[in-house]
Amino acid sequence: MPEPTTNGAPKIGVYVCHCGVNIAAKVNVAEVVEFAKTLPFVTVAREYKFMCSDPGQELIQQDLREGRINRVVVASCSPLMHEATFRRATAEGGQNPFFFHMANIREHVSWVTADERHATEKAKALIAAAVRRVAFHEPLEKKRVPVHPHVLIVGGGIAGIEAALKIADAGKKVYLVEREPTIGGHMAQFDKCFPTLDCAACILTPKMTQVRVHPNIELLTYSEVESVEPYDLRNFKVKIRRKARYVNEDTCTGCGLCAEVCPVSVPSEFDEGLGMRKAIYRPFPQAVPNAFTISRRGTPPCQAACSIHQNAQGYITLIANGKFKEALDVILRDNPLPSICGRICTHPCTVNCTRGTVDEPLNIPGLKRFVTDLFPDYKLPQPKVNRSERVAIVGSGPAGLMCAYELRQRGYWPVIYEAQPVPGGMLSVGIPAFRLPRDVITKEINRLKELGIEIKTNTPVGKAITLEQLRQQYAAVFIGIGAHVERKLKIPGEDLPNVFGGIEFLRRVNLLEGPFKIGNRVLVIGGGNSAIDAARTALRCGAEEVTIVYRRTRAEMPADPKEIEAAEEEGVKMIFLAAPKTILGSKETGVTALECLKMKLGAPDASGRPAPEPIPGSEFVLPCDAIIVTIGQVPDIKSLGDKLGIETTQWGTFKVDEVTLETNIPGVFAGGDCVTGPDVVVNAMYAGKKAAISIDRYLNKLDMRVGRELEGPYRTWYDIDTSGIAVQKQAPMPSIELARRRTFSEVHTGYTQEQAIAEAKRCLDCGICCDCRLCSTVCEAKAINYEMKDEIQEIVVGSIILATGFKPFDARRIPRYGYGKYPNVYTALEVERMTNASGPTGGEIRLRDGRKPKAVGIIHCVGSRDRNYNSYCSRVCCLYSLKLAHLIKERTGAEVYNFYIDMRVPGKAYEEFYDRMLEEGIHFIRGRVAEVTDHAMTPDEEGKLVIRAEDTLIGVIRRIPVDMVVLAVGLEPQADADEVRRKFYISCGTGGFFLERHPKLAPVQTFADGIFIAGACQGPKDIQDTVAQAGAAAAEVLSLIDRGFVELEPNTAFIQEELCSGCKTCIPLCPFNAISFNSEKGIAVINEALCKGCGTCVAACPSGAAQQHLFTDEQIYHEIEGVLSYV
Amino acid sequence: MSKEWEPRIVAFFCTWCTYTAADLAGISRMTYAPNARIVRVMCSGRIDPQFVLKAFADGADGVLIGGCHPGDCHYQAGNYKALRRYTLLKRLITELGIEPERLRLEWISASEGDRVQKVMNEMAETIRKLGPLRLERPLSQPLPDTERGAVPLTVSGRGL
Repeated sequence: MPEPTTNGAPKIGVYVCHCGVNIAAKVNVAEVVEFAKTLPFVTVAREYKFMCSDPGQELIQQDLREGRINRVVVASCSPLMHEATFRRATAEGGQNPFFFHMANIREHVSWVTADERHATEKAKALIAAAVRRVAFHEPLEKKRVPVHPHVLIVGGGIAGIEAALKIADAGKKVYLVEREPTIGGHMAQFDKCFPTLDCAACILTPKMTQVRVHPNIELLTYSEVESVEPYDLRNFKVKIRRKARYVNEDTCTGCGLCAEVCPVSVPSEFDEGLGMRKAIYRPFPQAVPNAFTISRRGTPPCQAACSIHQNAQGYITLIANGKFKEALDVILRDNPLPSICGRICTHPCTVNCTRGTVDEPLNIPGLKRFVTDLFPDYKLPQPKVNRSERVAIVGSGPAGLMCAYELRQRGYWPVIYEAQPVPGGMLSVGIPAFRLPRDVITKEINRLKELGIEIKTNTPVGKAITLEQLRQQYAAVFIGIGAHVERKLKIPGEDLPNVFGGIEFLRRVNLLEGPFKIGNRVLVIGGGNSAIDAARTALRCGAEEVTIVYRRTRAEMPADPKEIEAAEEEGVKMIFLAAPKTILGSKETGVTALECLKMKLGAPDASGRPAPEPIPGSEFVLPCDAIIVTIGQVPDIKSLGDKLGIETTQWGTFKVDEVTLETNIPGVFAGGDCVTGPDVVVNAMYAGKKAAISIDRYLNKLDMRVGRELEGPYRTWYDIDTSGIAVQKQAPMPSIELARRRTFSEVHTGYTQEQAIAEAKRCLDCGICCDCRLCSTVCEAKAINYEMKDEIQEIVVGSIILATGFKPFDARRIPRYGYGKYPNVYTALEVERMTNASGPTGGEIRLRDGRKPKAVGIIHCVGSRDRNYNSYCSRVCCLYSLKLAHLIKERTGAEVYNFYIDMRVPGKAYEEFYDRMLEEGIHFIRGRVAEVTDHAMTPDEEGKLVIRAEDTLIGVIRRIPVDMVVLAVGLEPQADADEVRRKFYISCGTGGFFLERHPKLAPVQTFADGIFIAGACQGPKDIQDTVAQAGAAAAEVLSLIDRGFVELEPNTAFIQEELCSGCKTCIPLCPFNAISFNSEKGIAVINEALCKGCGTCVAACPSGAAQQHLFTDEQIYHEIEGVLSYV
Repeated sequence: MSKEWEPRIVAFFCTWCTYTAADLAGISRMTYAPNARIVRVMCSGRIDPQFVLKAFADGADGVLIGGCHPGDCHYQAGNYKALRRYTLLKRLITELGIEPERLRLEWISASEGDRVQKVMNEMAETIRKLGPLRLERPLSQPLPDTERGAVPLTVSGRGL
């Protein structure tokens, strides 16, 4: 063994502890002491019964004082237990406390080793290692770090409340964070407390109020700790997410008017789902803070899927509540063309409707139409501002109209240029009146005109006025000319008389000459909505036979399935897998027939649909006297005669910026079909809206791109519990009878009020709050703010108390007890809510059908003391079961049976409480319950729940028929306990509860300095013990704050400058950024104030320049040699 | 000492998780094989690969490394560094003629006393099956120059 390098020759004293018999019973202490004497530098080796006792420590100090030794090894328990004790003893003996090392021969030897011989040998090895190591110890000094006086308490149950008040009363600042909208925790849900049967609210709510008014407590409800980072070596920087409650906590008076008008009801969490609450709610009347909160899950799937984000859930919920006018207001918030959309929108909302996962999605457009039909003379909202700028819009289709409306709402004066004699674009040209009556379009457009939007019809841009003129005369230009030029089949005979383009045909019928007969046998080529519209129009124009020829199959038809169905009902025939080859006929006869090829489906093409492939030689001929070709359209860009030089694409559409819709010419925007090619109405409206936003920003010289991620359709999905929802399909849309469908009268007649309400009630409230904003109309305090966002608050604290509580065991996990299956099986917490006067039943204990129970069984240990679930005892269930038994008997006079394994009632006045219940005549049956069943074996059992259990006191199986079963569920760690403990650098013990530093001596401390735990998050406990622990945690915190500093283990890393080669290996390894590079000296430098002493850099240093105090390479090498020198 | 061969195992445990778990095993009186001797370090990130080689060189038949579970490191990421070094060491010791099973890394949290018991017993059993570590040449002796290849097989460092 090489000579140690520290001052003076080492003289080592070895002290072997018996620890009563804890060590001595397994380790031959005398033999170990004799062995120690043979080790190098050992001058003294002694044994003692209890080294940690005063006389034990005195042994060390005397040897030190009298110069027999200058270094100390104690072989006893774990250093985590008594290292501090013996360091102190060494210091008091006059030596530096770090000339000490401990050999753990209790936890790591005597308690875990079966054989005495082995234990003795292992103890010797550990002592040999400690002796070798301590010879290389060096004097060190502990660093003092101030403790920040502010305290964070997480969890606003009784533990958090109690600790907060104690600390705040001592004059210290406390942040109390609670994730629910109110403090109170589980205790607030209880009715009475055992064993005194005093009212929980009476003893809790005054404390809650104290918390609210206490000047030293900053109460952060509806908030969660986001992250905990080291602020310095000892204190914490904590980020707290203040979740948006959408109600200003300070101005809300708690009047409750908002909840009265709120149309959304959801099960109340506070009442364990037995009662309902509104989407805007306060968990209970005594909540602190006494402010309301809006439950918003986020944008519902229907609204997210809609290109213009029409708030469907909002108006649906209002319709379900009979609030039709309010529903209309919600519709008009986002949509100036609702009576059009209610009829012809392809409703992407319904595709994503969650109800579709149960049975069928809601008929959302049908409901919208219902409301607009109910108020045919509704008005659009007036713009709130007026500005001077005028904006030119080319085209009055849905894109142009929407753009004009959105601009007008922002104060601009849009002027629409329309080439056709009527406004509306494809709405008027291409959509037949039996789907969209003309007066509906006219009314919608008139409403827009009333707002001050000017529409110049018969004014084709390019002829009447040029684009350049528009650009000069107006502040900005939006081009929404749609796609009106029809694509050709490019087959022979296409220019024969009686071959029509679909749009050409529809324009003539809709706009120009009205219905005219084009033939008796009409073929329609194509499979889109235009094909269907053309076919149905042709029928109404007097054709005898109309056949759609489509080259794929029905499954691939892009037309709306409901429209296809309607066409078939009306008599339109379909020929699938047929592609036109030649149109037969002559100039004189017109078209006489269509020669087609049969097709088959091949591999999917770019659109994802199977590509049709012709079957050679399969030609066949379809006789006809008119053909309508509807295979798509392209924009008529040429007609604009553009000289500005707007870029176009190879598909003949405008090239625009995807986000802003701006063309390459600044101030000129384009959108709708002329950019995308033929698309649905709502997407054109979306483009108009998007362009309006861009134009507004353009004219205000703002960034046109930022913050626009959520425009346009996107998908959201919420995990909605759809179990137990009865199947009820979509209400069918009423239509006129088939016989009348040869005219242009509207086919659908719309829902009746009853149908609409029934249909609206099918909505599953995906977003919870439906954003109808009725609450804000009644809030006199103006406390409601829908734009509120989550905020992050950053604080610095020196101590943290975790009081995050428990969650009740989920009784569904034990199916044989029938929870969730039999309605009259309740959990204890549910019955607790029923017994509460402010609970869902007003304090009455009732079965689900309202009857009073005559016999009630309480099953103990549900989920506790059961290896299949939790093996621990939940400690509170016996007593709360006694309490509930008493309350049930008192309120209903029912016979109450307790099924228990053991009655566990230790605690002051608990046994007496049990005795009292026995005297009250409550029945006790000892035995774990086998099952709860509704299977009757005798007439007595008919209509009852039968509890089957072994009565182990008399050794028989018993069947007890009861009306109500109460499950005394155990306590479990919070579902996110593991996530929380990681956040706070602490551990979970068995069962998942937070681990205390020592079960007896440090029950509220954790292994992380400055972080304490209190209450049921540490393990199941009753209110009494919780409050006691909260007090203990408060005392720990106060003692820290009053001392003002902590001493840190001096185990920091350091660089031996002469050895450092400047390789920088260590620098990126440090998680605390404590290492930097001194380029002048070319070496690494460790900032001791940031180093936390992990030693990771030391292990990586290739030259051995980095070292760690207390864990130098030298010390550890000798420890290794030591353990291996003796085996 | 003329006694039967017993596996000699050195265990490097981090103080926050695995060392505490070993204490818990003790408090819970979980008996396990006595072969491993625990050397406490603050973090598994402190375990220099040379510690492991030193242990093998000085006569250990097996080396056990214990750290906090991924994501649980008291110092954020020391255990990941330990894992990297362990992966390299596995290859290195194989090159040196040491069976890779003689080196084991385990994540054991402070509450997993039972896991300490299990791992200690398994480790002792594994080493017992492998028999004593017999190196052709002591690790502390440098190779003759003729055998020096691209990888220097000597372990340099103070005390070795």
